[in-house]
Amino acid sequence: MSSGSLRAAARVLAPSACLLAVAVIGLLFGTYWQYVVAISITAAVIGSALAMLVAYARCITIASGAMMAIGAYGATVPVVHGNVPFLPALGFAILLGAIAGLVLAIPGVRFRSHNLAMVTLVFQAVVIIILRESKALTGGAEGINVPPPVVFGHAFAGDAEFLLLCGLLCALAVLPMAVLLEGPFGKNLRALASNENAARAFGIDVSHHLVAAFTWSSALIAFAGAISAPRFRIIDPDSYGILTSIFTLAYPIIGGMGSIWGGLVGGGVLRAIPELLRPLADYIELIFCALVVGTLAFFPEGAASLIRTRRRSRRAQTGLGPRAERGSLSAASMAEALKGADPRPSRGGEGTSPDAPILTIESVSRSYGAMRAVAGVSLSVPARSLHGLMGPNGAGKTTLFNIVSGFISADEGRVRLAGAPLDAIPIERRIGLGMTRTFQHAAVFQRLSCLDNVMIALGRNTVLQATVRSISAALNSAAIRSERRAAMAALEAVGLVARAAEAAGALSLGDQRRLEIARAIVSRPQLILLDEPVSGLSKEEAQRLRELLLAINRELGIAMVVIEHNIGFLVSLCDRISVMSEGKIIAEGDAASVVADPRVRHAYFGEREAAA
Amino acid sequence: MIIVGGLKFGAIYALAALGIVVIHKATRTVNFAHGAFVLAGAWATYGVVEVLKIGYWPAYVLVPIATGLLAAAVELVMLRPIRRADMFAVITSTIFIGIGLSEVYRLVQNTEMMGLPNPVSGPPIFIGDVIVTKEQIWVFAGAILSGLVGLAIFGYARLGRGLRAMAANPRGAVLCGYSADAMNAMAWFLGGALAGLAGVFAAPSKGISPDLAISMITAGFVAAVIGGFDSLRGALLGGLILGIAETLAAGYVSSAMKNAVSFLLLFVVLLWRPQGLFPEARIRDV
Repeated sequence: MSSGSLRAAARVLAPSACLLAVAVIGLLFGTYWQYVVAISITAAVIGSALAMLVAYARCITIASGAMMAIGAYGATVPVVHGNVPFLPALGFAILLGAIAGLVLAIPGVRFRSHNLAMVTLVFQAVVIIILRESKALTGGAEGINVPPPVVFGHAFAGDAEFLLLCGLLCALAVLPMAVLLEGPFGKNLRALASNENAARAFGIDVSHHLVAAFTWSSALIAFAGAISAPRFRIIDPDSYGILTSIFTLAYPIIGGMGSIWGGLVGGGVLRAIPELLRPLADYIELIFCALVVGTLAFFPEGAASLIRTRRRSRRAQTGLGPRAERGSLSAASMAEALKGADPRPSRGGEGTSPDAPILTIESVSRSYGAMRAVAGVSLSVPARSLHGLMGPNGAGKTTLFNIVSGFISADEGRVRLAGAPLDAIPIERRIGLGMTRTFQHAAVFQRLSCLDNVMIALGRNTVLQATVRSISAALNSAAIRSERRAAMAALEAVGLVARAAEAAGALSLGDQRRLEIARAIVSRPQLILLDEPVSGLSKEEAQRLRELLLAINRELGIAMVVIEHNIGFLVSLCDRISVMSEGKIIAEGDAASVVADPRVRHAYFGEREAAA
Repeated sequence: MIIVGGLKFGAIYALAALGIVVIHKATRTVNFAHGAFVLAGAWATYGVVEVLKIGYWPAYVLVPIATGLLAAAVELVMLRPIRRADMFAVITSTIFIGIGLSEVYRLVQNTEMMGLPNPVSGPPIFIGDVIVTKEQIWVFAGAILSGLVGLAIFGYARLGRGLRAMAANPRGAVLCGYSADAMNAMAWFLGGALAGLAGVFAAPSKGISPDLAISMITAGFVAAVIGGFDSLRGALLGGLILGIAETLAAGYVSSAMKNAVSFLLLFVVLLWRPQGLFPEARIRDV
């Protein structure tokens, strides 16, 4: 086993190992402590489940109380009414939780922020009403007695043996969560939370991912509810009410939003505090509220971020920080580096002759009410060419890009990539076809490292693929290593390899633009759409970016369509330039002739200037 | 007859929804602490009536001012530093601020539920076959009237112009000389005052308890959604619709349906008409 594999395995096994260790240490203490430890281990599991939704996907959910209740009743009712053994009942409870997550998420993920929070609140309230009303099964508001769990004929009635069982099961349950969150699935969630449009452009289906996240996290919360129920001896609907939901929401926020550990530690510690500090028990809710608001105001990344920031600043002091080794390579060697990486097969290029146009736009139109943003635009871009697109503000350039890349659909007309029509293909499935894009406002995934940003751009981001790749990452398989190599090569090509581990949000705007280009080239497309790549950059940065783009075009043969207001930049980069005004292409040709064209001057400077 | 009772609660919901919409329009913040502001209003009414013993009427003036100041303080002290972060942080904070306020109530009063006598009593009035109590008339008329006053302040006064400017284009408003902090605080004051009034009207019939906070944030939110979330008139009508729907469900189906009906309305409106039943006419920038 290589050291990389060991590290990958250790990272996903650590949460389970930690829970198990805490359980074993708890065995050394008295029965009251064993009770507290068992309860706080289950809270840690809930915290880790909420880390997925709250810290990674940044959804506010107020339904965790309901999910705990579904788990608790789902495991208890079959045992009490059907004499089902504990383990099958536990499995049933987990399944029920997953189904509840689906039921909540399928209508719920149409919404974001406050509306989603409200929908989860409604779900929470409805579940509690149902539990209270179905008296025959649940005992109604009075509650139901929960027998100790019986596994293989043995009743785990004592505090010590229960703690051991609880620790084992929790360690097992948290493992898949750690695998998903540490791997590409978690990174996709972070990506869509940071910029939905960019995430979709790289093949992340936002709804599918959110539904999957709700399902996983609900199943795990239901598990925690089921395993902790026997400790309470009696459960009733009101102990899983809205307040429970809200206080569990505090776990990952106070614990930290950076990783699964925030939820784990937050849940474990916060659940134990009221048990250990009895005199404070009355004020505990108020203290929680103050902690949450204080955390959000002063340490938005949570308590765990304090440790990480300190570590980083220490590294910077010793001069070993990533900045120290930053250097830039020549454009040619950048492209050389990328060439060496194993290219991904791109389907778009098969069976096309070298001179055929890579992109064909056939009389595309798009209207917003009475305004025709794009009015019958036709354009043909030869393979390996550099095509500029300019025009005054509101000319329809970005709308055209959005149609070509699939963010909006055209009212009329058709877009072909290497001859194949694109119109019917949803944007999330276009990543493998050989076309990528950058955005007008640099749309890097702020909270992910540069390396992860580029790895996402390799594609293979459906929920199923991301799940499989997460397992693959935990095993440090050859596939994931080659992905990493390809991403490092792309970073090297744009000169960012020294900052691979840094968060993309920490980069300067110029470097963020470079990172966007690394993302655009890593899947080895045949065409890149660049929307204002040098806006906001200094003259020197723009110059360096131009050289980079020329090198990529020359060495890798990638065609580019570039929107830019900086005409000097556009003229020095592109073979041909089209000019748009009021939704139409009004001029097209080589750079010099377009700039001299009176129609272009008219579009830019208006009536008087043209007359003069 | 059932509808008359529904109109009374509907008017209270309308006031709560109006406050949510005012705050959302001017500061782009969905205030989940709004229910707690209503509770604060009801609690302050208790203070005026039972502790200061100066009668019920002063509460209609003093309480909105108090809750308005409370809301402005929440905005200035707690939310202003968080506003730099994202929507997630702001919404989460308002959730916990609301729970915190309810907790303060629970700790200080150390009781679950407190009641207040009705400020208006006397024999009911018969309009045809319909029995209407004087309290119903007073709550409905008073709440709708004060809602309209709030609407007028937002719509016409100089303060309202600043708030609407903030709503339309925060940066532009700041460039035009409006202070963002002052405008945010003003919007929260106005929203908090409306919530407080809702509390004054709600206290006698709904009782004073942390449950009031939760039921009012739900009702206010649903009413605001029905109205399109950004429309003040829509919020007023949304509140009335919700009030009537709730009492009809409770009267003709069962009392457990009372809560379900607001959730049903929320889902139906969000899924089929997310712009609300009474959307603001507005020009979208393309």
